Amino acid sequence: MNQPNTDTFEGQKKVRKAELISPPNRLKEKVGHGGIDEAVLGKAQELLENNTVDFKPIALMLVDLLHEAISDAKSSTTTGEDAIEAMLYPAMQLKAQGGMFHYPLISEISNILVNFLETVTDTNKDVMDIVVAHKMSINAVIASQIKGDGGKVGRELRDALLDACARYYKSRKAQ
Amino acid sequence: MSYQFKNITVLVVESTRAMFDLTRSVLQAFGVNQVYSAYGADEGFETYCRVNPDLVIIDWLEDPANGLDLTRRIRTDPKSPNPFMPIVMMTGYSQKKRVLQARDSGITEFIVKPFTAKALYQKIEQLVERPRHFVNSENYFGPDRRRKREGDYKGPDRRSDEQPAVKAATAAVSLTSAVAKAKEIKARHDKANPDKKDEW
Repeated sequence: MNQPNTDTFEGQKKVRKAELISPPNRLKEKVGHGGIDEAVLGKAQELLENNTVDFKPIALMLVDLLHEAISDAKSSTTTGEDAIEAMLYPAMQLKAQGGMFHYPLISEISNILVNFLETVTDTNKDVMDIVVAHKMSINAVIASQIKGDGGKVGRELRDALLDACARYYKSRKAQ
Repeated sequence: MSYQFKNITVLVVESTRAMFDLTRSVLQAFGVNQVYSAYGADEGFETYCRVNPDLVIIDWLEDPANGLDLTRRIRTDPKSPNPFMPIVMMTGYSQKKRVLQARDSGITEFIVKPFTAKALYQKIEQLVERPRHFVNSENYFGPDRRRKREGDYKGPDRRSDEQPAVKAATAAVSLTSAVAKAKEIKARHDKANPDKKDEW
């Protein structure tokens, strides 16, 4: 005998169909319990900090990518979001990798550039001037092999770039 | 007893060899024996299908096929050996917009580069100890994008029924009703058992 369906009413229809699944925790099954020792974490951090990777060729390759993206944007080979994305990618990689390979100043400069590019919507002259200024600064850090935060020069460089971005936002607000 | 990371395999999909080597050295320091490498989304997916690791760490990667596309493929491609794969995205992007993009593509955890060994470990620990449920809906398949547990919130209670004065008032009302109810029952008991009044 058919049982009456007590789960639904006549005419009732689900609007959103979403299923919640609890997959097996394969990682937990394999690694077990207990975490890891602070000493292991310390050793891992030491390995990160004492790496001997020569970042210069990687940085130059990324700066070349940025340079190409700038040229394409200036010549309108790429426009709008595509142009911005093309400049963002190498800037983001410079930010990501600089700090990992003893060039934190490159990370900081690139971070300013990434934050700036994330807020612009077109590639007008003012925007491009600021991007070029960042690229030149990164080039200068690589050429001078400024490892660490760059001291007074590093601070001045960062302040100048932040100031350029601030002036851009101020001028946009005034328009 | 500590985590037996030697029992797991990890695939790291990176944009450069140097970044892969660095990530591998940290994972090996944790105890992971087998760390596979891939560069780019297509090679990443091919390697992932071949080795079926226990954990995938993905860089944002360069367009046209980036880390988000790779994540979507791992989640939804019929060839994917494990659509529930834990995926950590490790990237230089930190803006909220990017985090949301990555989350909506189906990543499990997000780490900003430059990263520390502790940050990477903490994300792996989250995967082990607090795995996310998966949501399967018409337009999304991936880890539950809400991570919220009762008791996580440490701020002030703003909901009216959680505010102290309201709580106290609610408790007082409940107590008044309970006392009234008890008196009513006692009266009924006394009436039915006039000789056993003292039992209350």
